[in-house]
This record gives sequence, C-alpha cells and structure tokens, in this order.
Amino acid sequence: MTSKKELQVAYGLAIIFLVVGILSYAAFPAKAPDQPVRLMFEGVAGNVLFDHKTHTVDSGYGIACQDCHHNLEAGETNPESCGACHEIESGDEDVPKRSDAFHLQCIGCHKEGDAGPQECSGCHVM
Amino acid sequence: MSNQKKFIVSHAPFWLDGSRISIRSYNLMIAALPALLFGIAQYGMPAIGVITLAISSAIIWEYLWDVITKQAVTIGDGNAAVIGLLFGMLLPATAPWWFVIIGTFIAVIIGKQIYGGIGANAFNPVLVAIAILMLSWKYVFNFDGMLLNYDFNFLAVYPLAALKHFGVSGIESFNMGDLLMGQQIGGIGTGFGLGLIIGGAYLIIRGYIRWEISASFIVGMFITAMLFNLSDSARFAGPLVHLFTGYTLIGIFFLATEDSSSPVNFIPMLIYGAGAGVLTVLIRNIGVYVDGVVFAILAMNLVSPLLDMIRPKAIGKVV
Repeated sequence: MTSKKELQVAYGLAIIFLVVGILSYAAFPAKAPDQPVRLMFEGVAGNVLFDHKTHTVDSGYGIACQDCHHNLEAGETNPESCGACHEIESGDEDVPKRSDAFHLQCIGCHKEGDAGPQECSGCHVM
Repeated sequence: MSNQKKFIVSHAPFWLDGSRISIRSYNLMIAALPALLFGIAQYGMPAIGVITLAISSAIIWEYLWDVITKQAVTIGDGNAAVIGLLFGMLLPATAPWWFVIIGTFIAVIIGKQIYGGIGANAFNPVLVAIAILMLSWKYVFNFDGMLLNYDFNFLAVYPLAALKHFGVSGIESFNMGDLLMGQQIGGIGTGFGLGLIIGGAYLIIRGYIRWEISASFIVGMFITAMLFNLSDSARFAGPLVHLFTGYTLIGIFFLATEDSSSPVNFIPMLIYGAGAGVLTVLIRNIGVYVDGVVFAILAMNLVSPLLDMIRPKAIGKVV
C-alpha cells in the first residue's frame, strides 16, 4: 500500500514538473540561429550532414558567404538559402535543380581545393 | 485488481525491514542525476522541458489509468516517475512535446499497466515505448538531424551513425576519454558515460540493481566487439567505442537491470546480460539500426522467463 506521504510527493512532482515542462516548451520554442550551424540535406541517395559553421568561420575553412551564395550583392550580409532558388526539380535551364547545384558546388570546390570528400559515400549517408 | 492477492507467504513471524518501492525509485532517480544534470547543462532549457514533461506525463498517465480502472492510486511508489525520467533521458533535447506525451503513454500504459502494473511487465516499459516510437517516428532518433542548431566545441556528429555510415574512419577524431566525459551528441542523459557509471556503481553498491547483469553485459559486448574489430578493423570499431557511445551505458545500468523483465537466478542473469551485450554489437555491426541496445534488451526480456528455468536444485529433492 502506498502511504499518504508518498502520494503527496508523486502529486507534487507531477504538478510542478508539468508546469515547468509546459513553461519550458512555451517560453523557449526551438528557433533556428541567424547563421545555420549544421544543415541536413535530405535526398533519396542518403542524407548529407553539412557543417555550415566549419565552412564559414575563420578557424575552419573561412569561406566567404558569396563564394557559395553567388547572387549576394556587395555589402549584403543576409544571403538566401540555396533552396530559395534551386528547386528540387527545375524546368529552368539557367537555374540548376537543387541536387545538381549542391553537387556542382560541393564537389567543384572540394576538387578545386583538393580538400574534402569527392566520392558519393564521403558525404551521403548510405 | 491491485488489491487481489498475488502470492501467499509463509507463516509469521515476519521481519519488517522498512524497505519500500518508493525508496528504490527515489534511489534510481538519484543515481540518474549525474548523467541527467550533465545533459541539461549541455542542451539547456529544451532538455529540462523534455525531462519534466516526461516525468509528469508518466505519473499522470498512471494516475488516469488507476482512476479509470477503479484501482487504488499507485503513483506513490515512484515507478511511473522513474519510467518517465529514463524515457526522457533517451530522447534528443529537441523532441516535440506531443512525442514525449505519446511516449510516456506507451511506456506506462502499454508497457506496464496492461500487464497488471509494477512487477508484472514482461518487457522494460521504457524500451517498449522507445522501440515503438523508433519505428513510427524514425527522424526523432536521428540525433544528427535533431540537434542541428547546437553549437558545441567538439565534433557534433552522432558517433554510432558516423561509424555505421563511414566506418571506423568516420569516428577517428573521437578519443575515448572525451566520449566518456560526454563530449558527444546523443540523448539527453545518455552521453555522459562517467555519470552513468557512477550512478550504476551507486545502485550496485546499494543493492538496487544486480551486478551480474551489468558485468555480463559489458563482457558480452566487449568480446563480440573485439572479435568484429579483429576481423575487419576498418569497418568495425573496437569495444570501448561501443561501450561509450549510444545507449550502451544507460542500458547496462538502468535499462537491462529493470527487475520485472530480467531474470533472478545467478546463471540466468549472466546469460541475460551477456546475450544483450552480444546482440547489441551484432545489431550495430551487421543489422540495419544505428544503435542496437533497445532491441537487444527487449529480445533478452523475451527469453528472460525461459532463462529463469535454469535454477538451483531444491535441497533434498530426489530425481
């Protein structure tokens, strides 16, 4: 049998934790940082986890924003995400579809700098 | 139901030693604290949200069940709180609120209450919930995808996923000391290996869990991982990597040792623990899942009643 004191502890725990739980979910909603830390590109060939921060910070590879976000005007600091223009399937010849854009961008740069994976399985989780 | 006689004991005199289920539950929660506090420090407010919601909703589900089935309210024994706590510790800090609430429902109601409540469940309730959720909402257990916005000063890649997809070269940059000290991403309460070991040691010394299960789990896992590693060291990681990553340590000390779903005799406990260790490595190395602890322990839960048939011969019994 459960004693009264034990029940009180359980009720207290349930109520206090419920309030704290709801408050933490409500007051601290998950929000993406201004500059992405890591990005997960999802695709049929296996997802790619891209470490955006390591590519951009000076202690990492120190790549400038406009090297990848190629439509960035001079002085502009808030580039659009790749998917804003590069759609999953593209009918426009001038704008490659998203997977082609990523492949060109990533593999192209990795080859140019002779750094980073160039094989499919180096990035794609298969 | 709960007031029904479940077993008949012998004649008096009895000795009341004052031990209560609630004390055991409180001790389990205290033992989980080091790993839990580390997780909260690492993941911040979202982790507090997941843990508190998991504990409170688990207690509330059990309370509602007691009320609906017109039984005495059993939440005072603290078992629901323990289930909620351990369930929350296995989740990523960014798990959505509805996910936590569905999970504790599965754990408490489907994992425990429908079997008849505490002590009657055949499987570890927490693992029943995790297994069902893993199959239903796979993405929540993809720690790489769920923890994208956390910026750590260590390589924020889930070690077991990297190992599975890229082989041993994918985890080269991790060193064992860092993994043990929680320098890895994962569930809220699963990353800080040292904390889990301290908690486990406390429980073993106080007699709340059986060392036979934990020790044989480690041995089973160690030997299997070592054999795999010897056969192909580029593909299969060594035993320490398996020990310090994923759900291994929380499984060894907090999940496999759950009393109602694990054996009680000496030899069966050894087989049970070793079997879970072997299966964990098999699932990780040649199975489809990134982590094998959940299904390994559930599979051993399944055979636990059979294992318990290996028992000492009754004194004076003539064949």
